[in-house]
Amino acid sequence: MTDLELELRDLAAHLDVPPTPALSGAVLARLTRRRRSRRRLSFAVAIGIAALAVAFAVPGSRAALLRFFHLRGASVSVIDTLPPLTAHRPLGQPIARDQASFRLLLPSGRRPEQVYARDGGYWLRYPGLLVFEFESSPGPQILKKVASTTTDVEYVQVHGEPGIWIGARHGLYLPGGAPVAAGHTLIWQHGPLTLRLEAAVGRDRALAIARSVR
Amino acid sequence: MQASGEDILVERARRGDSAAFEELVLAYQSLAFRTAFVIAGDTADAEEAAQDAFVKAHRALGRFRTGEPFRPWLLAIVANEARNRRRTRARRAALALRAAEPGATSDDPEEAALATERRERLLTAVERLRDDDRDVLACRYFLELSEAETAAALGIAHGTVKSRTHRALARLQEELG
Repeated sequence: MTDLELELRDLAAHLDVPPTPALSGAVLARLTRRRRSRRRLSFAVAIGIAALAVAFAVPGSRAALLRFFHLRGASVSVIDTLPPLTAHRPLGQPIARDQASFRLLLPSGRRPEQVYARDGGYWLRYPGLLVFEFESSPGPQILKKVASTTTDVEYVQVHGEPGIWIGARHGLYLPGGAPVAAGHTLIWQHGPLTLRLEAAVGRDRALAIARSVR
Repeated sequence: MQASGEDILVERARRGDSAAFEELVLAYQSLAFRTAFVIAGDTADAEEAAQDAFVKAHRALGRFRTGEPFRPWLLAIVANEARNRRRTRARRAALALRAAEPGATSDDPEEAALATERRERLLTAVERLRDDDRDVLACRYFLELSEAETAAALGIAHGTVKSRTHRALARLQEELG
């Protein structure tokens, strides 16, 4: 080996190569979705058209679309610039938990402080934690999120079902409303439901909360 | 990974065993990501390329010839994904040297500074090469791939790896003056 070749080998040891991200969760989630989507192909085409219609109706969707993540009932579009976001959105009057049309799933089985019926599902408020649950099977796209390029967005799995983790500030779109500013969020499928939790926690903590619902 | 164990995993994955495919992803994710990063030069592009490559590899498992090594076959898909992403960028993202670790000391700070300067000069020269010259050097010396694996990753003949490496080293020497 010549000196130049030896110098190249030495250079390799000093290159700034970031640590390898965990890829298996995201890859398997995508493969699971592909298998399911093949089974529901004819239906998915119809829903796909509806989803596109929703996407084009979203303000700010003219910004460059960089990446796209999708779950049943939820999608995340990563764009280059976030549109203006509303900081706060009142949830209205709370309801009694047993008024919900399906059995609500509770993190660690704990009772929420309040439950609100809104946006086609139920919002559960806990100290420092907000959970949203809706029946998404087969379900249209009722959640829409947009995040900037720097946002940490990845596919994850919760008890073998696909989910998406968004580790930064982003916009939450709900039917008929202005985009709302949202923080760290995990969205995942759970049987016939799609759940969303938002809390100022990291990915692993959010996954632990998601796994604890019952 | 042992070749025989790998053959069994590939066969199981081909039959739809997702746990077997997960084992393959875990075994090769580091190589796939590093390969994509060295070619694309960008973390997000590399992650996306590696992820897409595994999904495409899974889809193409039916065409994988039993008994063939999995590693070069996967490398070809990864490198192709990374090059596609690089092509869509107006300007190629350049590799950089790692910053000195905090607290790292050297017996001879002057010598250490000179070594860093030499490495920076060399890396700048590598980044000035044409894509095909740069890629063959990156595969051979940065990723330490064999000639056969480099040929698979870059989709070129084994003999071309030899001649292109020779040419790239000569051009690199010219760049360095």
